[in-house]
Amino acid sequence: MRRTDRRDYALLFATAMALGLLLSNTARVAAATLKSVTHTVVIDGMRFEPQVLAVKVGDTVIWTNHDPFPHTATAQHGQFDSHEIAPGRSWKYVARKAGVFDYACALHSTMVGTLRVE
Amino acid sequence: MRMINIVMATSLFLAGAAVAAGGPTDAQIAAIVVTANQVDIDAGKLAASKSHTADVKAFAKRMITDHTGVNKSAVDLVTKLKVTPEDNATSQSLKAGGEQNLANLKGLKGAAFDKAYVDHEVAYHEQVLDALDKVLIPNAQNAELKALLVQVRPAFVDHLAHAKTIQASLAGKS
Repeated sequence: MRRTDRRDYALLFATAMALGLLLSNTARVAAATLKSVTHTVVIDGMRFEPQVLAVKVGDTVIWTNHDPFPHTATAQHGQFDSHEIAPGRSWKYVARKAGVFDYACALHSTMVGTLRVE
Repeated sequence: MRMINIVMATSLFLAGAAVAAGGPTDAQIAAIVVTANQVDIDAGKLAASKSHTADVKAFAKRMITDHTGVNKSAVDLVTKLKVTPEDNATSQSLKAGGEQNLANLKGLKGAAFDKAYVDHEVAYHEQVLDALDKVLIPNAQNAELKALLVQVRPAFVDHLAHAKTIQASLAGKS
């Protein structure tokens, strides 16, 4: 009887540990997912689409170039600069600083966009 | 130079109108697109090597890169669609105009070269935009060909704005 009790406690303890581990892992995964929301800006027909994008601090923004020639996503005041994104290629930026950043293609001045980091 | 531009613009317009009367086929549109891009690539190569003005050289290099990209897309598409580009009055007129422009530019240097090259780029992009809107896009039958023309049209708008900015800055210097 006593031995059974001890075994039960051991089992309970192990289960609690496993559950705790599982919960903390789940929390960590959830936190990581919250941190890494990924947004895509498509460059097509000399336009950034969406032209205005709002993201949270820590989010990732990917610019994908669908045009047959290179473009850039270059912030007006130097906060970020993709340099040339070749046709069919992408550039990834993690938005770490809050603010409203107007940007343009350094190669085609008619192409403009805004990234809002909140 | 202005006279040459007007003559060339008029001949391109007339050739465009002639094709438009019957409406160019997709094969003819393909030849017009490829020739129009090639003409500007050739002028860009000459300007990139001959001009000493940073803005003009950078613009010329942009024309080479962008129009080469457009041509690659056009050639990839017509190859996929099994369309063989077919020479026609408009593509021949574009080719002749391009050769005339190169011959004229080769005889010039310095500020006169820059002005002639940039003036021609303004006229050329205006003419191509006009042809895209009035002849090429309305007559394209294949949906993918039409979509490609619509997709690349804003590049010509941007290039025209860029050329006009340089044209104004060159005028300010002289």
